[in-house]
Amino acid sequence: MDLNFIAFVVMGLAATILSGVMITRRWPVSAAMVLIAVMTLLAGMFGLLEAHFAAAAQIIVYAGAIMVVFVFVMMLLNLPPEELRYGGVTWGEMVLISLGVLVAIVLGTQVGQGLLTQGLESMGYAPGQTPAHAKSLYFAADENVKNVAATMFVDYLWAFELVSFLILAAVIGSIVIAKKRSAENANAA
Amino acid sequence: MLTLPEIGLYFSFLLFLVGLAGVMFRKNILFMMVSVEILLNAANLAFVSASKITGTIDGQVVMFFVMAVAACEAAVGLALIIALYRTKASIEADDLKALRG
Repeated sequence: MDLNFIAFVVMGLAATILSGVMITRRWPVSAAMVLIAVMTLLAGMFGLLEAHFAAAAQIIVYAGAIMVVFVFVMMLLNLPPEELRYGGVTWGEMVLISLGVLVAIVLGTQVGQGLLTQGLESMGYAPGQTPAHAKSLYFAADENVKNVAATMFVDYLWAFELVSFLILAAVIGSIVIAKKRSAENANAA
Repeated sequence: MLTLPEIGLYFSFLLFLVGLAGVMFRKNILFMMVSVEILLNAANLAFVSASKITGTIDGQVVMFFVMAVAACEAAVGLALIIALYRTKASIEADDLKALRG
C-alpha cells in the first residue's frame, strides 16, 4: 500500500465528511468556507490521478472564482439571523438518510460494479490495466496540459466555442435578472 | 485490490449522495445551490477517474466544460437569489409558494 493510495483515500474520506458537515451548517458563510476545503481536497485527488490541469483549474476556477461569487452574494444579502431557521438534522431525516445510504451502498457495490466492469470491458479494458491504444496519450504525465489542450481544441472545438457563448449569455442574463427595476417601478407608481 | 481511479468512482458516488441529501433536505435556497456545486464536483471526480481508467484524456476535457457550466449556473442562480430576496425578503423555499398548485 503506497503513499499515493493512502493519501487518496484520506482525501476522499475527508472530502465526503466535510461535505456532510457543510450541508448541516446554519450560517451560509461557514458552509462556503467548508466547501472551499472540499474543493481543495478534490484538487488533490485530481492531482493524484495525474490530471494536473484539472487540479489547477479546480483550485483557480472553483475554490477561487466560483466561491468568491458565492461569498460575495452571501455578504450582499446580509441575511438577518432570524432568516436562517435551520435547526439541524431531524430524526425523520436521519432515518431517511440511513435508508438511502443502505440502498445506495447495495446498488453501488452489486449493480454498479457489474455495470462498470461490463462497460469497461466493451471498451477493451481489462481490470487493473490500461488499454494499449490509450497509454501513449495519457501517460506522458508531464505533458498533461498539452494533451488536454490538443484534445480540447481539436476534437472538442465546437463544444468549447458553444461553452464560451453560454458564459456570455450567463453574464448578460445574470446582470438583467439582478438589476434593480427602477424604470418599471417608476411607471407603476 | 481496487486501483486509485476505481476508489475515485466510489468517492464520487458518496459525494453525490451527500450533495443530493443537501438539495433535498435544506430549505434555504443558498444551501441548495451550494449542494448543487457538490453534485457537480462529484460528477467531475467521476469524469477524471474514468479518464484515468480508460486512459483517454476526454474525461478531463469534459470536466473542464462541466466547470464552465457550473460557473454559469452559479452566476445566474445567485442573480436569481438576489432578485428573489428583493421581492420576497426571504430565501426559504417554503416562503416561495406563489406558484403552488
